[in-house]
Amino acid sequence: MKTKIIVGLTIYAILFLGGGLYVLHLIGSTTNRLDNLIMLHQVEILREHYLIQIRRVQTDLALRETRFARDTDTIVSHVRSMGRVVRTCSDCHHDAATAARLEDLERRTIGYQEAISRVMTVRAGADRIRAERDNAFQVGEDLIEQVSDMIALTGARLEASTQRALASIRKTTGVLLFLLAAGPLVSIGLGFVFVRGITRPLGVLLDTTRRLSAGELDYRVPGLSDEFGQLGEAFNTMASSLREHIVGRQRAEQMAALGRLSAGLAHEIKNPLAGIKVAMEILAGEESMTEENRDVARKVRQEVVRVETLMRSFLTFARPPRPQPAEVDVDALIASSLSLYGRDPRFAPAHARPIRLVREAGSGAVAVADPAQLEQVVVNLLLNALEAMPEGGTLVVRTGADPDGMVRIEVADSGKGVPPESRERIFEPFFTTKGKGTGLGLAISRQLIEQQGGTLRVADNPGGGAVFTVRIPARTAGAESAA
Amino acid sequence: MRWGRRVSVVLGALAVACGGNEAPPGLHGTALPSPAEPPRAAPDQELQIGLLPERNIFRQLERYEPLAAYLSARVGRGIHLEILPRYGNVVTNFESAGLDGAFFGSFTYVLAHRRLDVDAIARPVMQNGRSTYFGVVLVRRDSGIRDAAGLRGKRFAFVDQATTAGYLLPLEFLARHGVKDYRTFLGETYFAGTHEDVIRDVLDGRADAGAAKSSVLERMAGEDPRVVSDLTFLARSPDVPENGLALRRGLPPELRARLREALLTMHEDPHGRRALESLGAVRFIETRDEDYEPVYRLAREIGLDLDRYQYDNSR
Repeated sequence: MKTKIIVGLTIYAILFLGGGLYVLHLIGSTTNRLDNLIMLHQVEILREHYLIQIRRVQTDLALRETRFARDTDTIVSHVRSMGRVVRTCSDCHHDAATAARLEDLERRTIGYQEAISRVMTVRAGADRIRAERDNAFQVGEDLIEQVSDMIALTGARLEASTQRALASIRKTTGVLLFLLAAGPLVSIGLGFVFVRGITRPLGVLLDTTRRLSAGELDYRVPGLSDEFGQLGEAFNTMASSLREHIVGRQRAEQMAALGRLSAGLAHEIKNPLAGIKVAMEILAGEESMTEENRDVARKVRQEVVRVETLMRSFLTFARPPRPQPAEVDVDALIASSLSLYGRDPRFAPAHARPIRLVREAGSGAVAVADPAQLEQVVVNLLLNALEAMPEGGTLVVRTGADPDGMVRIEVADSGKGVPPESRERIFEPFFTTKGKGTGLGLAISRQLIEQQGGTLRVADNPGGGAVFTVRIPARTAGAESAA
Repeated sequence: MRWGRRVSVVLGALAVACGGNEAPPGLHGTALPSPAEPPRAAPDQELQIGLLPERNIFRQLERYEPLAAYLSARVGRGIHLEILPRYGNVVTNFESAGLDGAFFGSFTYVLAHRRLDVDAIARPVMQNGRSTYFGVVLVRRDSGIRDAAGLRGKRFAFVDQATTAGYLLPLEFLARHGVKDYRTFLGETYFAGTHEDVIRDVLDGRADAGAAKSSVLERMAGEDPRVVSDLTFLARSPDVPENGLALRRGLPPELRARLREALLTMHEDPHGRRALESLGAVRFIETRDEDYEPVYRLAREIGLDLDRYQYDNSR
């Protein structure tokens, strides 16, 4: 989401900046056109002013030798004023063609001034004076014609420039209107995308929270991505932890209740059972008893012994013995267990349904655990594995050290395996898939392992069957060196 | 500038060839009584300085305006340049125009000094290093006119009856060659009004011959190569002082002194040099009435009575 927001805002900023720059360019371009327009107007005004000046001088010339003639100072002032205007014109143009035209204009203006000067200074016969005056007047008329042509040219350029400036203004207005409309639309669109990108995952998370609160501990956050995906993962992890915690607490409460029940039962049943067992032994020894009755007495005694065993299991489960941690060479422990139970006839190749025992190379790992309890668990797992393969198969035992400081013991069989729905239940007390048994073996095994800081899990064996994994703390490096 | 130098060389050679620079016997004539003192201008009023149409009147104003601005700044008084369409106007209109001084030509100064009680202050040293000029009688090379006799019946352009180079010189030249009355000897005669127009008229064929001053000829040579290639000279006058500033004696002595000081030192600062450059000069030097002796002599040679001389160009 962060990336999307950054990308979105960057695109928005680029569009905004690009639009702004384009508007600035258009405004600059239009301003230049308007400047050009103003300049052309000034040029036109200047040239018309110049034309007026020439006409005034022509009038001065025409009025000479009449009673309306202007004095010399006035004429000189008019002529010089005309010269200043044409020089102003020359000063403000730069393109070569115009500069050449203006240079020519200035040169002709100087010629006109010279002709006027001659008229003012010459003293001669009437013909020569008339000729001088006619010459000056004609030079003036030619100048007027040239300036008029230039004014017409400026007028045409002014018209064209005005049209271009108006077109530029229209274009600028259009672009500004478009940007005025597009800007809010893009903002709304981006806002909608961002808000939706935030509210939808929040809704999913809120819904998940509600369902978890309602007790659906198996519900998980579905299909989120980006940072919300990570948050969903964290939610799911939290939900899993919560579920394990709740289930563990429930199991602990069950165990506590069971312990109290077992203790009570053992206390209440133990003494009567002892009496019954002694009575049955005595009855079985009576010579007057028929063999049939004696056999009944022996079976009763056997059942009493079975009940006593069950009671001991109850007590072990309810009040597990406190572990006595010690460093345990896991491979040696496995070897010890296998030396005892490896003699089982089912491991014999000659057995009708033989089980192949595979002991994968040991890791030399050393765990910190109660050796007796750990061996009890391992033996229990080996026996369970044997019972899971009535038709024969392969039993694999492997050990190893995990990077997180735990020692791993795996007991894998190639039996029917454990269905997913039963993988947790098989660790509950009195749950059994076997025809016989108390249903306490795996429950006690997990209890013994967990009270030593380890875990016991079951999973599918990749080759078929199930694999039980015990993980218990390994000896720490400090402890190792001290040892 | 190169053309200007070439013309200087030509004119220098002409000066040697023509000779005739001997000082004539003194015939200054009797000085007239000083005219009544005109009302003195108030201290904050502009000084009115007259200009002669040495060149066309607009170019002449442009040449002198930087100088007027510079002097105005130096002396603390505004200066107004009054361009006069005729040389003689500077004498006849001096008082009526309320002039405080003028850049006089050599002949107009002589007339003004005799009649108006004005004194020369300073005159420029031009860029050719000379503070004098001389007049020439000029014809086109292709005109076939080689001497004074060749001018018979030709169109002749004078500048003005109040100029040394544009009137006194050709009269002296013609008189020296036996012409008693130029009006009957020459064909059409007229007064172009400026030295520049005389030279241009001869170049353009509007006149067959003319008389003008060397300094204008030099300046025009820089602008129009025909001045060197197409023109030749029949005579030259003695050297006379360049157009200098003369002031009426009624001006306050302190103001006269400031003007004189400003003119004589203006070449020492950049602003002054720029004004001098516009004028075509490099500095100003002091000028006294004695410097105009060649003009007095020329007038005597043609029998001109400076006190009674009427310079009516229409005649």
